[in-house]
Amino acid sequence: MDLFLQQTVNAISLGGTYALLALGLAVVFSIMGLINFAHGELMTIAGYVLMFCGLAGMPFVLSILLAVSASVVAAVLMERIAFRPVRNASGATLLVTSFAVSMVLQVLFQNLISVRSQPVLLPQILSESVRIGGFVIGVNKILAIVATVVMLIFLDWFMKRQKAGIAMRAAAEDFAVARLMGIRANTVIAGAFALSGLLAGVAAVLWVSQRASVDPLMGFMPVLKAFIAAILGGLGSLRGAVAGGFLLGFIEIYLAAFLPPEWQEFRDPIGLALVVAVLLIRPNGLIPAPALKAQKV
Amino acid sequence: MITAPPRNIVPALAAAIAFVVLAAGAATVLGPAAERVLTVFFVSLIAVLGIGVYSGNSGVLSFGHLSFMAMGAYATSLLTLPAAVKAATLPKLPDWLASTELGLFPAILVAVVFTAAVALVVGLAIGRLDGSAATIATLGLLIIVHGIIIGWRDVTRGSGTFFGVPRSTTLWVAAAGCIVALIVARLYRDSVSGLRLRASRENAIAAGAIGVNMRRERLIAWVLSATLMALSGALIAHFLGAFSPKKFFFVDTFQLLAMLIVGGMTTVTGAVAGAVTITIVTEVLRRFESGFDIFGVAVPQVFGTTQIGIALIILIAMFRKADGISGLKEWEERLFPAQKVKAVGSRSFAVTDKATLTAEGMTMRFGGLTAVDNVSLTMAPGEIVGLIGPNGSGKTTLLNMLSGVLVPSEGAFALGDQPLNGLPTYKISDLGIARTFQNIRLFPALSVRQNVLVAALSTAGGKDAEDRADAALQRLGIADHAGDDAGTLSYGDQRRVEIARALACQPKVLFLDEPAAGMNREETDALMDTLRGLTRDLGIGILLVDHDLGLINRLCHRILVLNEGHLIAEGTPEAIRKNPAVIEAYLGQSST
Repeated sequence: MDLFLQQTVNAISLGGTYALLALGLAVVFSIMGLINFAHGELMTIAGYVLMFCGLAGMPFVLSILLAVSASVVAAVLMERIAFRPVRNASGATLLVTSFAVSMVLQVLFQNLISVRSQPVLLPQILSESVRIGGFVIGVNKILAIVATVVMLIFLDWFMKRQKAGIAMRAAAEDFAVARLMGIRANTVIAGAFALSGLLAGVAAVLWVSQRASVDPLMGFMPVLKAFIAAILGGLGSLRGAVAGGFLLGFIEIYLAAFLPPEWQEFRDPIGLALVVAVLLIRPNGLIPAPALKAQKV
Repeated sequence: MITAPPRNIVPALAAAIAFVVLAAGAATVLGPAAERVLTVFFVSLIAVLGIGVYSGNSGVLSFGHLSFMAMGAYATSLLTLPAAVKAATLPKLPDWLASTELGLFPAILVAVVFTAAVALVVGLAIGRLDGSAATIATLGLLIIVHGIIIGWRDVTRGSGTFFGVPRSTTLWVAAAGCIVALIVARLYRDSVSGLRLRASRENAIAAGAIGVNMRRERLIAWVLSATLMALSGALIAHFLGAFSPKKFFFVDTFQLLAMLIVGGMTTVTGAVAGAVTITIVTEVLRRFESGFDIFGVAVPQVFGTTQIGIALIILIAMFRKADGISGLKEWEERLFPAQKVKAVGSRSFAVTDKATLTAEGMTMRFGGLTAVDNVSLTMAPGEIVGLIGPNGSGKTTLLNMLSGVLVPSEGAFALGDQPLNGLPTYKISDLGIARTFQNIRLFPALSVRQNVLVAALSTAGGKDAEDRADAALQRLGIADHAGDDAGTLSYGDQRRVEIARALACQPKVLFLDEPAAGMNREETDALMDTLRGLTRDLGIGILLVDHDLGLINRLCHRILVLNEGHLIAEGTPEAIRKNPAVIEAYLGQSST
């Protein structure tokens, strides 16, 4: 039972990071139909900023702020430079463009920083753990869970109460009509990218605080998982992204913890097969996006 | 059956064969280094064509195809590996496999069949997903297969290198494989299945409405493309002699997709153009990768030069030509464009078994809104019925239910004795109900004739499809536009093409949703003559929605009036004009 609870904490912490990443993907996808492969590089950028700030001996809170801001700025620049020229193209064109952006950035990191993994200096407290009741939780896990909850509450408030958030939701349902209502396309799209950069930055801080290292391909695997989480939840649906992220986190952690040793090698295939099984039952995801239902014939 | 005329197909295939043979011949003259580059090029091109067969024709990008390439590579290698090598490197193989030692060709046959069987099962699952969800699911397939190969050590040597494979892929073997792939890909594109799939890529809902079962066509293309990938994998394995699971993962997926997309996903010409471009760029950049001297200045080694080169080419291609270098058409389709329409003369395709359309208690609820409430109607064969009502009264929703686009919340409908409830659109259109759409839904990148032909091929068992298509084009007076792309026509002509396309389905009943919208008076009059001709000559019943009451009054035998989802009146045009409920619905209640 203790082991189960312990693993549940791990699952919430990992699932929360996936949820933040999947949310970032979903915000952009719901508005412009882009599956952004370069989302992972936003994470990597934030990771490198953390590394350099650590080397410069800055306070950790300031490092976090700088890292997250760097990722926001990078996301907005990415949209301005790479995605604006292809904005109205097909989904395949957008996706391939983002793949190319991701590749360019990876090669830049490899050449300008290092091919190898670099250590990140983190405050001592992150690697400590606290005893609550019968079991031990790492501070970094608690931080991850708290940060996820705070971000989700913030996002919910932003999307429901803020003008920019409401504009984004309107644009996600019907971009053409939203523009006719006076919502500026450039502002909404730039805002969506900024938001996705913010989410990627926070996710990067959480990711790095578990691993204390950063490498040029750091963002690739988590974002790959986030894609799958976003599909699992229902592509373009924000609540779906959160649900998919947590479900995927639970599947991964429980498989790692409870699958018999001789099956461990097949952990990833089994986990993905479970996801596919869910999708076969619900092809539009756990919580489908509203735009799917509204298609006019 | 091939839907394109011989004067397109013959030059296309001849040029493909000539291209491969000439390139291979040139490489033998240039020496072993050129031969190696070209062999890899041929094998890559097979894979690019394989991905193109599915992604190009269906419009669904796939990241998972390299898993089929991996299956082909491992399956053939396990069959061709000498028994002595197997005993040493893979001691835990089952006996039957350990003792098998086949030649390359029989091994390829076995591997292709095996891969096709796996692809069939996977395709049945992935076929349930659509658009971007399907794309990401193929990404999942890639990771799953990669994981299985790494985990299944006894058979695959896990993440280690699988070595000792006989190097039997010579330049000419690769060239032969490439010719096969070029022919298969080009013929599939213009086969009946390929044409249907391309129609569904252009507009999935319209494709369903003319009898195309999109899932089935996608599955066919998926399995066929998997066999090409298996062939490519088998050849690369027997070229390299040693390979690891990494060979069939993200880096190569990206490189092959880059070739396909830079060249143009939807054509074979594009696949070749993309493969040539990327191969040349890669070869040039590779020479720079390890650093070089220029005018005595040493340029240091730059990591990932080829990667960044490919990435930049993709970005340039996407910014400048989002459809790829070769665009949406094969080279010979540009060179020999227009297809002449045969005069079919007096052959008309009259409805032989006439049937009455009956609908009982049709109701459609969207959440709390009841768009159509308990509407019943009957339509006799050859009758023209008008369906009118203010905006938002449920006319289009009723048509959508009767054509299977929407599943009614309640109610039943039938054509003659054939109940149609719950049938998918493609079956309903095959059973005799064809329709047009309020917002035109053509297949814009297909020619006008292909738009109509694909409808004829997908209904009534595809019998006399060419004649039915040509007859429909002539009846609507658009035979002169047969060779044009449907997307380039004027609005009125597009409406006519849509009616011709519906007519080519040989329907018993035709639903027209605002056919005269955007037409001027002369065009509307001509359309009325055409529609009268359809009922008079062919016995087709027409259900017509329009806001042009003049058109409705003059054309229809009977009029149904909807208001807020209810059927409020039904009768002859004269009776409807005097009906107080109708006047109130249209003009509001009189205050006197």
